[in-house]
Amino acid sequence: MLLELKNLYKWVNVGGNRNFLLKDVSLNVNEGEFISIMGPSGSGKSTLLNVIGMLDQFDEGEYNFLHESVHKLKEKQRAGLYKQYIGFVFQAYHLIDELTVYENIETPLLYQDVKASERKALVADILDRFNIVGKKDLFPTQLSGGQQQLVGIARALIAKPKLILADEPTGNLNSKQGEEIMELFKQLNNEGVTIIQVTHSEKNAAYASKIIHLLDGRIEKEEKLS
Amino acid sequence: MIRNYFSIAFRSIRKNKAFTAINVLGLSIGISAALVICLLVQYDFNFDNFHKDGDRIYRAVTVSTFADESYKNPGITSPMADALQKEGTGIEIVAPLRTEWQIKVSIPTTSSNKPVVFKKQANVVYADERYFKIIEYKWLAGNPAASLKDPYKVVLTSSIAAAYFPKAPASDLVGREIYFNDTIRSVVSGIVADIDKNTDFNFQVFISRATLETTSLKPRDWQQWNNTNSSSQLWMKLAPATTPKKVEAQMLALFEKNRHKEVGETGKTEHLLQPLSDMHFNADYGNYHGHMGHKPTLYGLLAVAAFLLLLGCINFINLTTAQASQRAKEIGIRKTMGSSKGQLIFQFMSETFLITFIATVLSVIMAPLILKIFGDFIPSGLHFNLFQQPLIIVFLLLLLVIVTLIAGFYPAIILSGYKPVTVLKNQVIASGGRSRNANLRRSLTVAQFVIAQVFVIATMMVGKQINYTLNKDLGFKKDAIITLSTNFFDKNVDNKNVFLQKLKAIPEISMISLSSNAPASGGSWSSTMKYKDGKKEIETDVQIKLGDTNYLRLYDMKLLAGTYLEPSDTVRQIIINQTYSKVLGFQNPQDAIGKIIEWDDKQVPIVAVAADFHQQSLRTPIKPLIISSWASSSRTFNIALQPQNAEGTVWSTAIAKVEKAWKEIYPEDDFEYSFLSEDIAKYYNSEKNVVRLLSWATGLAIFISCLGLLGLVIFITVQRTKEIGVRKVIGASVSQIVSLLSKDFLKLVLIAFVIAVPIAWWGAHKWLDNFAYKTELSWWIFLIGGVVMALLALITISIQTIRAALANPVDSLRTE
Repeated sequence: MLLELKNLYKWVNVGGNRNFLLKDVSLNVNEGEFISIMGPSGSGKSTLLNVIGMLDQFDEGEYNFLHESVHKLKEKQRAGLYKQYIGFVFQAYHLIDELTVYENIETPLLYQDVKASERKALVADILDRFNIVGKKDLFPTQLSGGQQQLVGIARALIAKPKLILADEPTGNLNSKQGEEIMELFKQLNNEGVTIIQVTHSEKNAAYASKIIHLLDGRIEKEEKLS
Repeated sequence: MIRNYFSIAFRSIRKNKAFTAINVLGLSIGISAALVICLLVQYDFNFDNFHKDGDRIYRAVTVSTFADESYKNPGITSPMADALQKEGTGIEIVAPLRTEWQIKVSIPTTSSNKPVVFKKQANVVYADERYFKIIEYKWLAGNPAASLKDPYKVVLTSSIAAAYFPKAPASDLVGREIYFNDTIRSVVSGIVADIDKNTDFNFQVFISRATLETTSLKPRDWQQWNNTNSSSQLWMKLAPATTPKKVEAQMLALFEKNRHKEVGETGKTEHLLQPLSDMHFNADYGNYHGHMGHKPTLYGLLAVAAFLLLLGCINFINLTTAQASQRAKEIGIRKTMGSSKGQLIFQFMSETFLITFIATVLSVIMAPLILKIFGDFIPSGLHFNLFQQPLIIVFLLLLLVIVTLIAGFYPAIILSGYKPVTVLKNQVIASGGRSRNANLRRSLTVAQFVIAQVFVIATMMVGKQINYTLNKDLGFKKDAIITLSTNFFDKNVDNKNVFLQKLKAIPEISMISLSSNAPASGGSWSSTMKYKDGKKEIETDVQIKLGDTNYLRLYDMKLLAGTYLEPSDTVRQIIINQTYSKVLGFQNPQDAIGKIIEWDDKQVPIVAVAADFHQQSLRTPIKPLIISSWASSSRTFNIALQPQNAEGTVWSTAIAKVEKAWKEIYPEDDFEYSFLSEDIAKYYNSEKNVVRLLSWATGLAIFISCLGLLGLVIFITVQRTKEIGVRKVIGASVSQIVSLLSKDFLKLVLIAFVIAVPIAWWGAHKWLDNFAYKTELSWWIFLIGGVVMALLALITISIQTIRAALANPVDSLRTE
């Protein structure tokens, strides 16, 4: 088991009323799974993803990640955990505009104190694999959306995470680019990487092995695909 | 990692050129001010701090008190040195010095009969080997024990030796002849190297003390215990266990034992030990006519430097936190990539470091320029050379680190505190933290303008006082009068009369008077005078001026009672000033006429009471004074010129004719004259320097503050672009929008004004206390200061707000 959520609640107080963002969410994710989270706007998809990614807190319940009780950890320990095991991919790519493609991909390694020679080798590998060696000295603004997302995924993968969290990774892309990204995810999943993605698109959701439908912060249904 | 930080720092600097420029400029002004000021301060504080056992070296000085007023004298009664040498305990070395004022040096030459002459040589002193035991020199020829043992022996420093005997090596100079004042033939017996560190011991010619002691040159006061001459100085090095108090007690005992006591005396004389480290800063005793440090000024300068640095740092904090939201995305991404808060703080600090470093490099380039601007404020011995002064590099590095910490720490904390979730959801412009930052920015801006405002008001206040002093009625006429003095050593009294007759023949001169000095002069001469009013005796320390019968007329001074002096070669009558008349207890000036004053055992009648006039700068109060005629002791010619004509040639013609007459009678002496009004203006040189310095500091403070304001305004207008567009579409006019945007900022300037006024008032009040006669603290100074500041701020704000208001709303709304 990679991670386990037990009876998770998250809420905000608005004018004395509790407004639930997540309500009694329980979920088990095994290594090697590919999960899509679907649901209408405001149903809590991104919140759930952020909680899993440990970027956001929750108010009640338990969260175990690789036998660590996340809810008991201090912020620093949580950061140590996610920087080692989790890679993030965003809808808006979120590359650092001031850094080149090469440097963007290298950044997570810097924060994990990887040696310079090793960093060089790892970045070179991934540039090669994603066929973007020629773009390594360009800045994000000089790339198309699809290329930027490719860099974003490369960056998420560089530190060899166990889990990739993707928040509408194809939301800003045209259908052809989107398809390429989803194919890439499929391939990564086949190589053993666990992936959780949030998506609006039925078609993209279908790449997963399991679809979770959220409504008003609750898991409405889990759907297993073959 | 660091490389990565620096490369991103460089790119973000490039991207935000305007903000970077403002930051770098503000910081570099602060840093270069700090650099230059620290050079200055360090220069003054490093005087004579290198002597062996310097903490045990003292100068014996004299404080005499008459009628509640103390007179401080760097000299001590001459016999004290020998008495201490014989009877003193706990003193390692007693070293008497006798300074000489402007001596004429002649060097006989083999090639011609006429010697090479050096007039008015300063830095000449009579000393013996004991001086060289306290102040160590490197001997290039001769040695301290032998060279100054006998009379008529001279030791020179190598620099003056090179001037007197060009191109001769030190060893060849021993045995060469030097004549002082044409009569004292002496022989060079040693050469010492000049002291190459900062020192007040600027002597260049040492004549053996035996020359005074064992020959007819012996000064009159040599054995007199009751006489204190400032040229008779006494240095000593105490034994390690001795305290100055013990030696002071010994000096008092010796003085009381030996001096000649008078009945009914009211004065008091004390002998104190002045530490060597005090000499460079204590104007009461002075050094040897060299540059002196003034501690309050130096501390003031340090404060100015600190404030300018602070202003630069505030700019940085303001602009960086204002821009923070633009960096928010990067922070969020870095955090999801696994960066810790500490790593982010370090990243932003290194960015600050880079900007500060650029500013530092810039200020090193600017420093020589600033040194030039403050040329007359800066002592000639001060140099700036980065590579020869490793201390400066250490100082700059220290400054770099400190500024980086002050300027960078808060923004780094703010920036690194962003939560990745909110940032990445594009909710950076969330409420809580942002308004706290905005409040901080407002407070900092207010602080900046408080500093600038205080500077503005202080500068105006100081300027007003200077103006007041320069234009105040001193009680005598000071325009169109030149003064010149004859040689002190000229013994031929007829020369003065001949010169006087020649001057009288010049039509461009309206009146001439011979006197000891002008009504207001730097030097002063005073003596104790007594008056018996029948019941009691009134003893007063009275200023003395000698002047002939024309003196009061020429200077347009008013007589309150009595008549002008009759011409006289000796003191036969005196005129007293109103202050003295009041001290003596006369209600009506008329009552003083005919009364007798005792001066040096002579009885002299008062013939007139003159209205008070200022005898020195306005810092000192008007003192009791007498004017008497004593032609043979008067050496200063006061020459009133005819009014200047339209072509402006009258004065120059007059001066040319005076010079011609001078050359005929005193061919040996240089013709040196000065306009009295200029001499008086010179008393206020230090104030003028303060004004100049303050003006610069004010200018820079305003400049830095306005830069920061401009940065903030740019940021705010960019942030409110959409709002401005919407308002324009709805129908707001350009001026309405400008006032909307400017209002908030002007409010800050106004708050700053309110805070600054009491601070400035208090500071100006303190400073004015230095002056016996001062201008008042007018309310309009504060008002004008405030208006000036507000106007400057408004102009700064307008640069950006007008541009923002004029922008076509279609453009700003379309991009949304």
